Amino acid sequence: MFDDIITKSKVKSPWLYHLNTGSCNGCDIELISILTPRYDVERFGIKLTGTPRQADIVVVTGPLTSQSKDRALKVLSQVPDPKVVVSLGSCPMSGNVFKGSYSIEAPLDRFVDVDVSVAGCPPKPEAIIDGIIKAIEILKDKRG
Amino acid sequence: MKFPYAGNALKDFFSKPSTERYPKVKKEAPKGYRGKISYDPEKCIACGMCIRVCSPGAITMTKGEKNDEGQLIEMKFNLNSCTFCQMCADFCPRGAIKLTTQYSMIATDKNELVVSGSFIKKIPPKPTVKTVQQSKAKTEASGSK
Amino acid sequence: MEILLGLFYVLVFPGLLFCFAIGLLLLGIDRKIVARMQKRIGPPIIQPFYDFFKLMGKERIVPNKAAKKIYIIAPVIGLISIITIALFIPIDYFKTFFNNYADLVVIVYLLTIPSLAIIIGGASSGSPFGGVGASREVVLMLGYELPLVITLLAVGMKIGRLTNTAATFSLINIVDYQIKNGPAFLQWSLIPAALAFLMVIPCEIGSTPFDIADAETEICEGTMVEYGGILFGVYKLTQGIKIFVMISLFIAMFMSGIIPAVSSSIFVNSLVSIVWHMALVIVILFIAVSLLRATTARIRIEQAFKFYWTYPTALSLLSLVLVWAGL
Repeated sequence: MFDDIITKSKVKSPWLYHLNTGSCNGCDIELISILTPRYDVERFGIKLTGTPRQADIVVVTGPLTSQSKDRALKVLSQVPDPKVVVSLGSCPMSGNVFKGSYSIEAPLDRFVDVDVSVAGCPPKPEAIIDGIIKAIEILKDKRG
Repeated sequence: MKFPYAGNALKDFFSKPSTERYPKVKKEAPKGYRGKISYDPEKCIACGMCIRVCSPGAITMTKGEKNDEGQLIEMKFNLNSCTFCQMCADFCPRGAIKLTTQYSMIATDKNELVVSGSFIKKIPPKPTVKTVQQSKAKTEASGSK
Repeated sequence: MEILLGLFYVLVFPGLLFCFAIGLLLLGIDRKIVARMQKRIGPPIIQPFYDFFKLMGKERIVPNKAAKKIYIIAPVIGLISIITIALFIPIDYFKTFFNNYADLVVIVYLLTIPSLAIIIGGASSGSPFGGVGASREVVLMLGYELPLVITLLAVGMKIGRLTNTAATFSLINIVDYQIKNGPAFLQWSLIPAALAFLMVIPCEIGSTPFDIADAETEICEGTMVEYGGILFGVYKLTQGIKIFVMISLFIAMFMSGIIPAVSSSIFVNSLVSIVWHMALVIVILFIAVSLLRATTARIRIEQAFKFYWTYPTALSLLSLVLVWAGL
């Protein structure tokens, strides 16, 4: 019974950690906009945390520059299980217009398992909400 | 010590929230929104214009072998690296590429986000073999003009 | 019987179980009120319960660099001490025999322990952010302890003078006096002290303009940077109970005895006073914590320190001088 409570709580309170790996700020602004009164994802219990230790969902933006690659992977490894990695925008998925540059390490899924990808450059806030709801569904089945 | 928004906060506490209940109430993207690419292989002529204007290089064209029927051409629009700039649609001479207003592109596997289509490009009919006189006469006729 | 009653007090009503429920509930109400003030829908009121149980199910990580025993034990000590304070605060007619053992001085001592637990936990986590957060929390503590102590002195002195004794620090005497003679905030010499106490509440519980020690945007949650899982849940719970304790202390000192005794039986009176107490707690939460949290941004550490050593200290000193002058 206690496990049921924890499983239910896991779905009801996913905390986001926003990891910027050299993004152009477009996706970052759109991600923050889902916390504004208009979209207000806090009604799903979503909260933006400041530290990866408390995160359930890690939202990665940016094309994973060489400078940020090691740090990003370090931060991702600091997130306690169960965790879900969401890649936001085209950059972490392929490198977008920066692909082929000497300073870009994208795509992200060369290094970690990406659970949900949200396409768009940047995605609309509604699309980000869809992506996070998908991530919550995946989080439900993951075990700590 | 000033609290310029205290009055607003108290007023808003008793008024309706301005939140859109998004996943319950679906929302249409505004007109002209550049969303998921739709590709119509029937109209495409494989001119390669879209590939030239695509800045992230998201469009690839693979050509099959030529045979009697024609040439199999497959176009792949990789939305993973698309910037949704609409240049491909603007430059398409036949209007085969369109950007729809579908904004929600969620995938657990990256390959779900590839829009592709293939068609067989008809090879133009080979000119029938003409006799030397005929062709000569033709060149003379064109020369006299 | 006495032991059973004591166990009931410690484990169920003003103790562990009740504190668990009311602490998390008050956090949820606060979040909901702030959301509505910002024209949002906000999370459900029981959201902190979801958070707490989710944190229970998370992987427990103790960093390599941390001082492990202190790191684990600090939040627990904070929780225990804050629940102990909850036992010591009388709720109008509802009194336990614990109230006889403790006075305001003990409560002031115990109130520093949750903050100390945050400082020790942050410093022991081995992260530079934790160190920065701990130093900020120390500065904040120095800031708000001064007006808090002067306020308590003023109240104790006033009630002591009115009851023709020396300054009394027994909360039960203070509450009894107010039940007989009306609430203390009607004594106009205590109004500045009450205002000063209201200003101390948001800093004591670490809510937004004064959440400098765990600023998530500048120093990655500060003292909480390495805490995740159930230990962080315990800190959250401590924060929730702190809201209840601080506001209860305010009500016990300034606003007791507003409703008269409804019947002769102590049980009914206690029940009515508990319900009334909860309503008052939510009203004061609305004014002192949520309204401030919804409309202000975080201030810098030296601004907070300067603020606490000027306005609230001046107000409480004014109150103390007025009381001393016999007004």
